[in-house]
Amino acid sequence: MDKIIEALNKGIEKAGVERQKVCLVTDIAYSPDVVDFLGIDLFHTTRGRAIPYATGMKLANPKLLPVVLFGDIATLGGNHFVHSCRRNIDIVLICVNDFVYREVGGETAPGDFPPISFSPYLSFEKPLNIPHMARSCGCVNVSRWTALHTNELTDSISHALQRTGLSLIDVISSVPDLLEFYYKNSELRNDEDTLNVAIEKDKKIIVGNFFNDEKPSFIEAYNEQHAKMLGDNFVKIEVE
Amino acid sequence: MKAVEKVFLKGKHTLSGFEACAEGALSAGCRFLGYYPIRPSFKIIERFIERSLDVDAVFVQMEDEISALAAVLGASWTGRKSMTVTSGPGFSQMMEHVGLGVMLETPCVIIDVQRSGVSEGLPNVAGGGDIMQARWGSHGDYEVIALAPNSPLEMFELTVRAFSLSERFRTPVVVLSDAVIGRKKEEITIPDQKDIKIEKRKYYKGKKEDYLPFKYDEKDLIPPMVDIGQGCRFHVTGLTHDERGYPVMSDSCQEWNVHRLVNKIRLFSDQIVEVEEDQTEDADVVVVSCGVVSLDAAKAVRQARDEGIKAGHLRLVTVWPFPEKRIYELAQKIDTFVVPEINYGQIFYEVERSGRGRAKTLFLHHSSSQIGQSADILKSIKKTRGNNK
Repeated sequence: MDKIIEALNKGIEKAGVERQKVCLVTDIAYSPDVVDFLGIDLFHTTRGRAIPYATGMKLANPKLLPVVLFGDIATLGGNHFVHSCRRNIDIVLICVNDFVYREVGGETAPGDFPPISFSPYLSFEKPLNIPHMARSCGCVNVSRWTALHTNELTDSISHALQRTGLSLIDVISSVPDLLEFYYKNSELRNDEDTLNVAIEKDKKIIVGNFFNDEKPSFIEAYNEQHAKMLGDNFVKIEVE
Repeated sequence: MKAVEKVFLKGKHTLSGFEACAEGALSAGCRFLGYYPIRPSFKIIERFIERSLDVDAVFVQMEDEISALAAVLGASWTGRKSMTVTSGPGFSQMMEHVGLGVMLETPCVIIDVQRSGVSEGLPNVAGGGDIMQARWGSHGDYEVIALAPNSPLEMFELTVRAFSLSERFRTPVVVLSDAVIGRKKEEITIPDQKDIKIEKRKYYKGKKEDYLPFKYDEKDLIPPMVDIGQGCRFHVTGLTHDERGYPVMSDSCQEWNVHRLVNKIRLFSDQIVEVEEDQTEDADVVVVSCGVVSLDAAKAVRQARDEGIKAGHLRLVTVWPFPEKRIYELAQKIDTFVVPEINYGQIFYEVERSGRGRAKTLFLHHSSSQIGQSADILKSIKKTRGNNK
């Protein structure tokens, strides 16, 4: 987790955005020290539901840059994820993909991949292919790194903060013992078709910048549609 | 500011309750609507969308009601007055975020157009079964504010008041309406924008680095707010938190936290509670009602008076906090309360509790099909005659 916060800090720096406009919205509790370290506001919301919270923030004040840290979307919040990708709202989604409910006390999440078990009888369920799910739902910027790919993750966050539209960064993370294992078992394949990046047992974790495209963001589409219908009567959502 | 003036209606207009509600929200300064379409509340959304695009208001159709209220809470922290509009099943979905709204002390308004029945029920038929859900729907201990309009004019006025109360008390406020009030049309007079009084959100004015999101004022128990992104570097969480907004997992912090959340409304309920009374001074029997039923109750009380029965009427304009002091005062003077509701007994329990055994309490199920009729209520009033002092 610290590695992700570290990369976020560097990413904000590198993007050159006004730091106080970045706000972190999370669905589980993180150490409040993050607030001072990053110099931003932090909202810890309900389980799995940080994305709609950030969506409201962005629409109500488009100058903000909400960054959402959320879990493996195994159950809660999957629908919010799907629709935020479809909507292409200008927020940055960082999926902390660690195959475990750490807060609950180590209950396992779907994922038969981790070499150590969080469950007494091992997990037999297949994890979601999160980058592919994002891509197929309309997400315009999809990448995956392990938590130890600090530089690459920093670059992805920086890029995501600077561009419009929704960005999804899938970060394979875990307890410290496993970080090194994941890092070593990863294989860089930029521009790989997301269909081929599912995490499977005994196979390499494919990392890289998978997809980067342009399409109107929610706010751009909202402005365009209503300006077309209403002409000068419409007051646009001002982004800058 | 472009065309802002255009958005505010003033003077006389024939509006439905749904339309008046949307106008009330806009007049109160609501500039964010997060919603998921559901019958029969959708007419409010349509009106808001239609009328909001020539001001700087934003609306978004979310993927469900859970996210609709989440978006509203997020939007409210940017400083925009925000609301959501829903009906029964959607209100059920929102409960998780009602709790978060209370815990993060986020001003917002929820318009609930109550429909009849459990679960999907009867979508287009008026109901009154969400009274207790508004009060207790989310887990844990908290206080809530809920208002119950009974006319299109009140759909306007109480929506305005809901925004005012939510800003003053930093809490979600529920407007419990229904489809009969919503569809009813009448000529209403909308005041000038300058005459619409809204309490302002209390903002923090000190140094940015000293800001503590839950450091409250002893006078009103309300912590001043800041908007997101102003550089105050604050942390808020739905977990039990201290004045810094940091999670603290201890009983003492829980007491500190929740005690104030409850007291900031409970101790100031006199500023919130509003009832309307008719002929209660010399009454032997008082009908207690709210929302659309109060129209039938008022009629029944007039009919009872015509027949020489000393009947009175108390209408709850605010359902929560409950006017328990006033009910107790009345209980000491009268024989019986009659509580007609479009449900199987909700306000009834509160009236019975508040009366502390000093008066009898009769419940009357007034079904959706009986809306507009007073015969059953009059019959109940007559039943109590034998008990007159």
